[in-house]
Amino acid sequence: MSQATLFYLANLLIYGAVDVIACLGLSMQFGVAGISNFGYIIFQSAGAYTAAVLSLPHDTANGGFQSYIGGFGLPFPIPLLGATVVGGLVALPFAILVGRRLTGHVAAIGLLVTAVMANLLVTNFVPLFNGAAGLSVVPQPLQNLLNPQTQTYQWIYGAVGAVIAVLVYLLFRRITESPYGRSMRAMRDNSVVANALGKDLLSMRTAMLVLGGMAAGLSGGILVGFITLWDPGAWGYAETIVLFAAIIIGGTGNHKGAILGAILVPVGFEEATRFIPSSLGPPGMIPALQWVAIGLLIVGFLWFRPQGIIPEPRRRIFARAQARLAHARGDQSPQATLATAASPPSGSPAASGGAILSTEGVVVSFSDVRAVDGVSISVGRGRLTGLIGPNGAGKSTLLAALAGTVPIAEGRIIFDGQDVSRVPAYLRARLGLVRTFQLASEFKRLTVVENLLSAVPAQSGDTLRGALRGRRYWEHDELEAIEEARDLMDHFGLLEYADSYAGNLSGGQRRLVEIMRAIMAKPKLLLLDEPMAGIHPTLARTIGRHLQTLCAQGMTILLVEHELGFMDEFCDPVIVLAEGRVLAEGTMGELRGQSEVVEAYLVG
Amino acid sequence: MSLFIESIGFGLITASVLAIAAVGFTVQFGVTDVLNLAYASVMICSAYVAYLINQLGHGQSIWLAMVVAAAFGAVVSLVLNKYIYAPFQRRGTSPVAVVIVSLGVLLIIEYLVQAFEGAANVSYTMTQGATLNFLGLTLTVVQLAIMGLSVVFMIGLHLLLRYTRFGKAMRATAADRVLARNCGIRTDRVITLACLLTGALCGVAGTVFAINTGSFGATSADLFLVLILAAVFLGGPGQPYGAMLGALVIGVVTEVSASVITADYKYVPAFVILLVVLAVRPRGLFSAGTLN
Repeated sequence: MSQATLFYLANLLIYGAVDVIACLGLSMQFGVAGISNFGYIIFQSAGAYTAAVLSLPHDTANGGFQSYIGGFGLPFPIPLLGATVVGGLVALPFAILVGRRLTGHVAAIGLLVTAVMANLLVTNFVPLFNGAAGLSVVPQPLQNLLNPQTQTYQWIYGAVGAVIAVLVYLLFRRITESPYGRSMRAMRDNSVVANALGKDLLSMRTAMLVLGGMAAGLSGGILVGFITLWDPGAWGYAETIVLFAAIIIGGTGNHKGAILGAILVPVGFEEATRFIPSSLGPPGMIPALQWVAIGLLIVGFLWFRPQGIIPEPRRRIFARAQARLAHARGDQSPQATLATAASPPSGSPAASGGAILSTEGVVVSFSDVRAVDGVSISVGRGRLTGLIGPNGAGKSTLLAALAGTVPIAEGRIIFDGQDVSRVPAYLRARLGLVRTFQLASEFKRLTVVENLLSAVPAQSGDTLRGALRGRRYWEHDELEAIEEARDLMDHFGLLEYADSYAGNLSGGQRRLVEIMRAIMAKPKLLLLDEPMAGIHPTLARTIGRHLQTLCAQGMTILLVEHELGFMDEFCDPVIVLAEGRVLAEGTMGELRGQSEVVEAYLVG
Repeated sequence: MSLFIESIGFGLITASVLAIAAVGFTVQFGVTDVLNLAYASVMICSAYVAYLINQLGHGQSIWLAMVVAAAFGAVVSLVLNKYIYAPFQRRGTSPVAVVIVSLGVLLIIEYLVQAFEGAANVSYTMTQGATLNFLGLTLTVVQLAIMGLSVVFMIGLHLLLRYTRFGKAMRATAADRVLARNCGIRTDRVITLACLLTGALCGVAGTVFAINTGSFGATSADLFLVLILAAVFLGGPGQPYGAMLGALVIGVVTEVSASVITADYKYVPAFVILLVVLAVRPRGLFSAGTLN
């Protein structure tokens, strides 16, 4: 191979490593956590500028042809570390934009605008990073010891870059495959439901913004150390689109796909066009068509193959866990297996009599409609309480208000002796107040067993720290939870679907997944919103009996249902809601004797 | 002081251009549920069509060219919605993914224009007309015409939405498409007409934008897109009256800050307003409902 070709290949290796690291960070944010960060390029740029001003000498000592802040003349590897840290720090304010409330395309627009604004500011504020002209002659790492012009230097640079890329991949895979990663995929699939199961969306989104920002910053640092210059033209918002294109084409939600995409799109496109003679067409036509091609690839892939070239793998964790347990049983005595007796739900069994939840004059308003209009109820500990009422009576809204999914305008909610009226939904879930949803709300791209596991409270691997400590640290908890999930799935006849995507099940099966998931959360008070809708009557009775067993073990359940036969058989007492107010309360037998209840609901 | 009044004059012109663009964008979003970022590329493409007409023979009137650009914008917007966005929506693609699709479309259209027209900027052949002094403002006849045009469009849209069957059908479709269809409104036809209407506004906006900036290139409207988004989100996405007010605020703030701070940072206050609105009141200042 000629010298020129070898030089070229070394270059390719460096660019490849940079793009792979950047794409991995975006894959973590967008593919795993579902944050559409259209301002991602800012983080890479922050890293590049940081590494540049950390390694450059003070601007007065640099010939004075460019002005910039800092200029510390620090040696390798400090500029790279600085780039990583600053990439993460710059991500912090973004957490305000994509915090609890802003989601989906509104957040995406906010981030896009921020990226454009940051570029404008840096372009026009010359003292910061030399404005539009940008920074140049950035010192290369260890350039006093090695000559950067040699091929050896370039190959070493490329090799170090590749090693860093591999390390970033391993780190991100470790996080993604942990219970914490599962929580993030749950948030991606349905953030409202994840929140209701106790997931702190703000903290998870912040963590992913910072982590992805660090990867981007690192990639910028590596890049600027090699090309020795950086200017606003290098990070227009369109560059973020290129990275998105890479992830979409490679495979969303899958770090291997991100790597493939990085190699195909940013690297591949830059290179492929080198071989097209520039004499073809007017000047600038080839680069323009390159952008057209990226646009076509985005639209084409999203239409023909939205899952990308390497789709997100289905995680067969149940089968794997069974194999492990069988292995463990073979090795040791049967008593040493991880299977545990079904632990009773937390809360005090048989402490019936007191109220676990009471409300005082709760009001929920939607603009000028008072959907819940001064409701005061009390739910007895260990009871299976029913909630009925005509359509639009405010049953689901009341449930949502109790769980904190919608805010209340007036009144108080006391749960387990604590005023939770202003406590956010995820914290109420952690206190033991868990709801299900009227509309199907399974996490579609999680398997059935993953859905169930996502609700288990306080798992050791469900924090960033726990995830980083690795599988050995959290696996014991995980296998225990899987055993528990197996008993439930067995009980409800879904064992054979343990490793199937929940989104592929029938409507009734998905309702079951949701109920099982709520049970896995071991709530003190479980709020069920029409759990029997679409479920076969025989199965509904099985569920009813199971719910009764749970109540006998100390759980309390408040359940909205239209099927009065079910209410007759299982619920006592039953609360009747009409037009946002409590109409009556009692056993079904008593209620049938009250004329206003019969008029409002039982007949109509 | 006179500089300040002057800048308000510029602000009103920018606001006029912005209002046409933002109202078209927001109505399109309200009716179709697509946050169509490719809108900026349709604007610029229409401006190019007007340029081609303008350059035919011996300098055709730019106002005639604008009519053709409006027709072009209408057709392109309809095609984009019917053959790209709507199929994605029917398939259940998430709103964010549809935004990414629209970004892809933006790249395709803008850089196709660039590939064939080159990267150099172009200008219309036209006269600015006489300069008029007016309440301390110095405006050309063309600038007054742009402002007049914008006011006419805003009043026209108001009358359309309030008093015609089509306007009411559009509002119903925007509020709840399924419910509107169940009430006997032919929502597909409403969406088609709404795309044509907003596409025409987009074409006009592109042309007046190009007239106002003097010279333009394939990617000139990218920054303007951010101003459109600022106006739209300030007023609440999907709300034409909100977009009108948003355009007025953003337009005036942009030009006033150009004179008070420096021209380099003229867009920054507008962006900051947008970010604050997004963070504090993501549904905009008027969050009552769409197209109301």
